[in-house]
Parts: sequence; structure tokens; C-alpha cells
Amino acid sequence: MAGPSNEKRPWVGYGFLALAVLLLGTGSYIGLAVAPREHYMGEVQRIMYVHVPTAWSALLCFTFAFVSSIAFLFRHDWKWDSRLEATLEVGVLLNFLLCMQGAIWAKPTWGVWWDWDPRLTTTAVMLFSFIGILALRRFVDDPVRRATWAAVATIVAFADVPIVYFSVKWWNSLHQVQSTPQTVDGPMITPLRVNAFGMLSLAIGLITLRTRLAARRLQNEMAPPLPERETSSERVAAAGGEA
Amino acid sequence: MTGGIVVGGWEFVVAAYGITFSVLGAYAVSLIVRVRGGKGREEN
Repeated sequence: MAGPSNEKRPWVGYGFLALAVLLLGTGSYIGLAVAPREHYMGEVQRIMYVHVPTAWSALLCFTFAFVSSIAFLFRHDWKWDSRLEATLEVGVLLNFLLCMQGAIWAKPTWGVWWDWDPRLTTTAVMLFSFIGILALRRFVDDPVRRATWAAVATIVAFADVPIVYFSVKWWNSLHQVQSTPQTVDGPMITPLRVNAFGMLSLAIGLITLRTRLAARRLQNEMAPPLPERETSSERVAAAGGEA
Repeated sequence: MTGGIVVGGWEFVVAAYGITFSVLGAYAVSLIVRVRGGKGREEN
């Protein structure tokens, strides 16, 4: 197996974070202050400009986690395990925020904070599946077992990701269909696009920095143990017994 | 809600944006602190 590499170039992560601040600031300003009010949902619809980009980024994170799992199992390169850990953590965070935003949007429009609708249920399953994999990584000390089990579990859990995406098409869902430039009115597309690139940039920045931390921990775990300090009598014995 | 149209609701919008950017900002800051802290230890 290739050893863990502590990825260089932290400025790449900082650069993506700075770009994310710029894009999310601009996109949110347009979404909150410039974009028109939606006829039926009123001001509440403005949650879409942060909710949909969060959803896209969470799904992309889990897709990259799936790719990292396969790459680790086939290439046995530790950098893919670090990337897996980073994408899982950032994906879970985005998935959690996705559920929070959805609940806040659901209350004024559906009248309830939560409904066991196909889209919401599959999203909750996705969240708890990947939280379980993060927990698994915490409990297993051996790096090889931890990486292998997490990679296999991620591949299994990823089966839910396309189900989440297509759930609104496959079943009669309370949740609206995917918000895309084809389904969203013209003036609302700009803030959605800007925030989508902003959230993607943020996810890349966070993953870059988190990968660095994961690689550093792996390096520490795999570093050879320090040699025990020789006692003075052992040094004497090694020198031929002359004291 | 009035006649199928949601009236008001800015408090929900503020809550959604506030929670999202507070959590993401706090996570980003924690990562930056940990990365820079580890870098300092590596250099020492």
C-alpha cells in the first residue's frame, strides 16, 4: 500500500473558501433582495437559493466518497482514504443542513416540520447511513480495517443517493420536483446558479482542508514507534562492558 | 397562509440562511484553526 501523503498546497483550500464567500454573498444578496417574490410561497421560496445548492453539493460529496472508496479498494493508496473521510464528513454536514432547511421551508408551506414523504425519508436514510460510517471510522483503530470497512460501507450506502435524486419522479411525492433551469423561472435562475457554484466551491475548500487533517492523522498513526531510550547499563553492555 | 398563498415568512428565511451560514462558517473556522495548528507543530 502506498503510504499516507500529507497533501501540500493549503492555499488551494483557502482559495476555494474565499471564492465561496464571494459567490455565496453575491448569490444570497440577489436571492434575498433582487429576485422577485414567488406567487404562492411568497418570501419563503427564497430558501430555495440555499436549499437546492446544499442538496446538490451533498449529493456530489457522497458521489465523490463513492469514487474514493472504489479508488482505495483498487489502488490501495491512502490518499483516497483521507479523501473518503473528508468527503463523508462534509457530505454529512451538508446533508444535516439540507434537512434543517427543508424542515424550515416545510412548516409554512406544508404546515408540518417533517413528513415521511419518499424524498424526505430517503434523505434521512442517507444522512443516518453516512453518520453510521463516520461512527464506524471512529470505533476502529486499525487503519487498514477502518479504511476497508468504511470503503465497502460507503459503496453500499451510496445505493440510496440515486434513489434520493429520483424519488420525486418515481413516487407521488409531497416534495416538488428537482429545481433546475428548466423548472425555475428566469429571474430566479441567477441566484440559484451563483449559490450553486458558491456551495460547490465551499465544499471543495472544506474537503481540501479536511483531507489534509485526515492525511496528517494517518501519518501519525503509521509512523514507526520511537526507539526506547537506552539505560546507562545497556550502553555500557553495548560498548563491551568497560565502565 | 391565506387562500393557498403564504403570507410573510421572512423569519423562516432568516432562520434557514442563519443556521446554514453559521454552521458552515463555524466548521470552516475549526478546520482552518486545526490545519494551521498542526502546521505550526510540524514546523517546530
